[in-house]
Amino acid sequence: MWQGTGRVSEIRLGSGGKTELYITCPANLVPRAGQFVMALAADSLDEVIRTPIFTAEQTGRGFWAAPLNPVKWSPGTVLDLARPMGHGFELPSGIERLGLAAVGDTLARLMPLVHQVAPTRAALTLFSDLAIPALPAMVEISPLAWLKESLDWPDMLVLDIPLERLPELRSLLGLHDRSWLPCPAQVLLTTFMPCAGMAGCGACAVAGRRGWKLVCEDGPVFDLRTIRW
Amino acid sequence: MPKYDLSFTPPIMNAAGILGFAPGNRDMLDWSELGAFVTNPVSIGPRTPARGKRFIPYPGGFLLHSGYPNPGFTQVLRRYAGRWKRSPVAVIVHLLAQAAGELETMAHRLEVVEGVQALEIGVSSEASATMVGEFTQAAVGELPVIVRLPLECAPKLAMCAIQAGAVAISLAPPRGLMPAGEEEFVQGRLYGPSIFPNALMVIRALKQQGAPVIGAGGIYSREQVNAMLIAGAMAVQLDSALWRDSGSKIFQ
Repeated sequence: MWQGTGRVSEIRLGSGGKTELYITCPANLVPRAGQFVMALAADSLDEVIRTPIFTAEQTGRGFWAAPLNPVKWSPGTVLDLARPMGHGFELPSGIERLGLAAVGDTLARLMPLVHQVAPTRAALTLFSDLAIPALPAMVEISPLAWLKESLDWPDMLVLDIPLERLPELRSLLGLHDRSWLPCPAQVLLTTFMPCAGMAGCGACAVAGRRGWKLVCEDGPVFDLRTIRW
Repeated sequence: MPKYDLSFTPPIMNAAGILGFAPGNRDMLDWSELGAFVTNPVSIGPRTPARGKRFIPYPGGFLLHSGYPNPGFTQVLRRYAGRWKRSPVAVIVHLLAQAAGELETMAHRLEVVEGVQALEIGVSSEASATMVGEFTQAAVGELPVIVRLPLECAPKLAMCAIQAGAVAISLAPPRGLMPAGEEEFVQGRLYGPSIFPNALMVIRALKQQGAPVIGAGGIYSREQVNAMLIAGAMAVQLDSALWRDSGSKIFQ
């Protein structure tokens, strides 16, 4: 399972004052948008469990990781990295209007999609109340509260939300109990994943339409229709 | 009397709930490093994951409140019995029960399942000595029975289990309470290096009582494995160290 090493080679202050780390590593250890790698400082005695890290931006010989809270590592830290895990985002071809919504504490996990869509002619709106980083000019920014008024706009909606806030989603979208989104939606659920699929321990379980699903194995990106929310 | 004696070579195995229901489904371990494989807890009916907050880290460890989700005994047999038969190491099935009758049913059915070499039964931290005795007797049959007692009550209950027919005692993680919001608390199992000194003390106490014991709790290094064996454990079970780095600091 553990496939190689990386190194924290740069550090920067991202939007909202959050620290972002650049991790140099082999290309096969860079997670795709929505995937994660489980990481651990190679010489650490204090880290009891691995930390999932997501890509914010893939560039050069590694990737900028989405901010960690707390920041555990500094430049020079050597990391044991597992192979990328989980189901990432899958954007269908031909999207003309993509809506992105960040409900958690960072936009960073959605940024690879911005960079993926930016060169196309698709329109992109980012719904968020967080501090906004530098973005391509084609990206429109809206407050999160506007999302419920805009549901008939996108061809597809992509959400990033902590698992514990999933019960708020229906109200956030302004949907009544039995109503559905008018467009397909993918959701990235973030939570602790202590066993990372080794045990099916259930710590990251989410109720699915057909039984329980595990964020670490079945996600972390889900088709919104397949989970209960 | 149980058909088999228990011995483990090497004297290291995983703890229940750490590596799933069957060995060989992951590429992270060299199975020759383990003397046995312990399944995730299996209950007579299906169990769903616990609701609410399930994982809370703290310095030196973490609290896990998973609810021991599993698809139920019949489904587990259907899905995993074939893999137990082909297992590269001895399989110990961990059983979880609310009543002695459930254990008797499951233990009896497992006696004819190839690859299963022993049973481990889980006992809650609220269990009385009487209940430990009843549960153990219900599970004892042709397969050796290991009784897993919570660390905090193992010295008090171990001999009840042994007298009822258990061949060994293993140690479940201690339970603890963590705040999970302004006025909420979550109770769950505690894992991490901070558990080790308590676990070692319990092993020594059980050894002094004459109970065969499989040590567990906070093992993150080879030295800690050796310390438990020197303190009197017949073998050890690894837990969160396997999640951390596949036990690389233990197997190196």
